[in-house]
Amino acid sequence: MSVTEYFRPASVNEAIELLARHGPDLLVMAGGTIAMPLVNEGISAPERVMSLRAAGLDGLRREPGRIRIGAACPLQGLLELDDVPLLQAAARHTGSWAIRNMGTVGGNLFAPPPAGDVTVALLALDAVLVVAGAGSRREIRLDSFHTGFMTTALGPDELLVEIRIAPPTGATAFHKLGRRQASTPAVVTVAARAIVDGGRVSEARIALGAVGPHPFRARAAEAALTGSRLDTASITRTATAAVDASDPATDGIASEWYRRRMTRLLVERALTDIADRPAGGAA
Amino acid sequence: MTSNIVSFALGDRQVEVMVRPMTTLQIALREHLGQTGTKDGCRQGGCGSCTVLLDGEPVLSCLLPIEEVAGRRVDVVETITPPQGLHPLQQAFLDQFATQCGYCTPGMIMLGVGLLAHNPHPSRDEVVEALGGNLCRCTGYEPIVRVLEAAGAAEGIAVGATQPVGEEAAR
Repeated sequence: MSVTEYFRPASVNEAIELLARHGPDLLVMAGGTIAMPLVNEGISAPERVMSLRAAGLDGLRREPGRIRIGAACPLQGLLELDDVPLLQAAARHTGSWAIRNMGTVGGNLFAPPPAGDVTVALLALDAVLVVAGAGSRREIRLDSFHTGFMTTALGPDELLVEIRIAPPTGATAFHKLGRRQASTPAVVTVAARAIVDGGRVSEARIALGAVGPHPFRARAAEAALTGSRLDTASITRTATAAVDASDPATDGIASEWYRRRMTRLLVERALTDIADRPAGGAA
Repeated sequence: MTSNIVSFALGDRQVEVMVRPMTTLQIALREHLGQTGTKDGCRQGGCGSCTVLLDGEPVLSCLLPIEEVAGRRVDVVETITPPQGLHPLQQAFLDQFATQCGYCTPGMIMLGVGLLAHNPHPSRDEVVEALGGNLCRCTGYEPIVRVLEAAGAAEGIAVGATQPVGEEAAR
């Protein structure tokens, strides 16, 4: 079986109509960096494919108090966000230059682990997703978007159109460990954000990637940190809670055992970074 | 079997291919246009040997459906090679032994042309970072990194892909 129709809708409305007409058999693709390897390998053999590259979803817009990222915005575009170093760092450590020119921010949300590093950063930034259906739009918080391994809260007739973040408050840190320095799947990815108020953490986000069925917030770790001073004891406690929240797989990149060990280490490093510069936001 | 006609600029030349839907640019180049400089490595986006420039930006032709290049400009190692002699970056690769088996070379050169067009004087770190997605199993990368560093240090070698090359430049 080979592809018989390749659609390039020129608008979101046109894309949603195609989705309604062809249903779940339609392979929806943005940058192709996830779908095309599967098609090339023969693992995926779609008959109908819809590309979102021409649907007007590639914008990156700044508005007062928020940044609107089109679902098909290339990952390379995030490197411009000097005021969101967490997202910048996550993008810089995702794929290669050519992959970032093709792969999209929206697509990263659908990347199976151990991929999805940008999603980890977006979780720590409390990203909100805008989803369009036939004649309607709704918002989904990113932390309730993933429902399992490669399953999401997106309805069969819905399309992810935008990712919204606010300029981050507090200090942030991003750490990713791979088998090599660049263009590598993660052993584990950690994005952390903490607001330190009067010496104590008033709000914390600890997001993990590659150590579960999808990128997720380690809420128990966040709770372990909130209200505490950022010191060795609270950092150790938080890292333990993060390891407990993880459910890593053994694959060609790393073993479950190693992923747990490195989750502890990277959470500790991220929080130590933040403790060393609580006022700054650099990742 | 459904086939579509897609036209795009291959360097300075307008070309048309009649291919099945979602044929990759890599296959179109190699099997329909005879441009075999672009290599067929992993087809997974993991090796960089099929790197080409799409409107001056490095992309992986093995992951790019041909429909996405309609009306756009594609540059490959053949289109940057002048009718006589070599592109300065090709010459530099040759002079400084930055190629061994040669399989990664076209991808390395296209990445390099793209890098120098964006950043005419890249630092060593910037070269290394830009090359992160291009594998070479022979050279250990050092000669390739040195060539690109030297190309950035030397004036006049950074020929951008969007400048006239080939026949146009030779006139």
